[in-house]
Amino acid sequence: MFIDIDCAQEKKYNQNTYGDYFLSKRYPDKDTLIAVLSDGLGSGIKANILATMTATMLLKFVEASANIKLACEVVMNSLPVCQVRKISYSTFSVAHCSEDGEVKIVEEGNPKFIYISDGKVVEPEYTVIDSDTFKNRHMHVYKLKLKLGDRLIFCSDGVTQAGLGSSDLKLGLRRSGLIRFLLEKIKDMPDISSSELAKFVVRVAINTEPDRKAKDDTSCCVIYYREPRRALIFTGPPYHQEKDNEYANEFFKSSAKKAICGGTTANLISRELNIPVRCDIARSVGKLPAVSHMDGIDLVTEGILTLTRTVEYLENGFFEKEKNAAYELMQFLLSSDCIEFMVGAKLNQAHYDPNLPIEIEIRKNIIKKMAKILEDKYIKRVTLRYI
Amino acid sequence: MAKVKVKMCMGTTCFVMGASDLQELMDIIPSKYGDDVEIQGVPCLDLCSTSSEAKAPYVMVDLTVVSKATVESVLEEIERKLKNGQE
Repeated sequence: MFIDIDCAQEKKYNQNTYGDYFLSKRYPDKDTLIAVLSDGLGSGIKANILATMTATMLLKFVEASANIKLACEVVMNSLPVCQVRKISYSTFSVAHCSEDGEVKIVEEGNPKFIYISDGKVVEPEYTVIDSDTFKNRHMHVYKLKLKLGDRLIFCSDGVTQAGLGSSDLKLGLRRSGLIRFLLEKIKDMPDISSSELAKFVVRVAINTEPDRKAKDDTSCCVIYYREPRRALIFTGPPYHQEKDNEYANEFFKSSAKKAICGGTTANLISRELNIPVRCDIARSVGKLPAVSHMDGIDLVTEGILTLTRTVEYLENGFFEKEKNAAYELMQFLLSSDCIEFMVGAKLNQAHYDPNLPIEIEIRKNIIKKMAKILEDKYIKRVTLRYI
Repeated sequence: MAKVKVKMCMGTTCFVMGASDLQELMDIIPSKYGDDVEIQGVPCLDLCSTSSEAKAPYVMVDLTVVSKATVESVLEEIERKLKNGQE
């Protein structure tokens, strides 16, 4: 399963920074992810520093420790108390999620998370751990087994207390009010992404305020276990020409989103599967050949030049005025979770002619570079297959 | 008279060797010849990998290959085809 995670935030209306802090990190080698949401006492810069410190410490502690409970307990016992208000200086929720569905959660002071499975709210059991050093601090520890389609929604008290004191909602939105909105939204859009759902929650909270201004820092983090969005890229002709048909069929039959990068590759698939390639508007944009079209294929581009430029955009960002083929390819890659490259190993001698005005890199090297950036910077799962 | 079909290679080698400059043909041809000549881009004509010498960019005018193509040489070839077609 793929863990889709995102957070949306809004700061208190008169502040210039966020008093809640969200942090998450994936560990692809262990198929796990750690997410932390911390709410710092008060608002503005002070709250921001408190929340940032708490979240950063927690992430590092949980990362280093085999035991999330112990790591959180150490933090709970050591967080200082605000000198002015005599209360804890930040609250937190930590989730340690595995791709097989095992989730461990520790909460201290934040509103209880919401666990939605099959369109219903599940109220899981938990154990309470009291703080040794502070009487009013208690951790709730959960151990869950999530399945495909399940969601966990974490929020700061800015969400559950939205509208507090207003004539309609004397006690604010509360957890029960938020649940009503969530269930309705998920019923309407069963596949809604974590990013969209988190934004929706923050919007609901702000709209609950009579004057549409956030009275407190408002954050929502959503964790959604879903099927990964797969993408398959065929680039370069296979080394053994007799296998062209086999590879073309395998590529076309895949249920993943498909892209072809390379003129020869596009011709090869067109020839083997009898699907015409259309270059109706063959205008190049940004000194790159334009995209072509093939039925059943989501994107068809030129090869090396477009791939090289896509690597540049992935590395440094896209700042061109006009969207070109490399931009399209970048979007294609970034909207997927698991990316597989079928890299044809046949070389086109003409590309290495010293008379060419620019140096053309070897396909394998560009793809290797691209895979590394996609893995390290964008946390994608990348598979390379040389054919 | 049959239409003259022009295919312009948009593959990597041709593109860097000057096909990017040939794109003005996309404007010139329709305005100059109207419906008599049809121009389209193709992902690759597969000529660079088969030819022993570097002669990109390649453009096909019907079945004739124009190598080291320029706007002028492609227009010349089109004129020749149109003239032959009329005869």
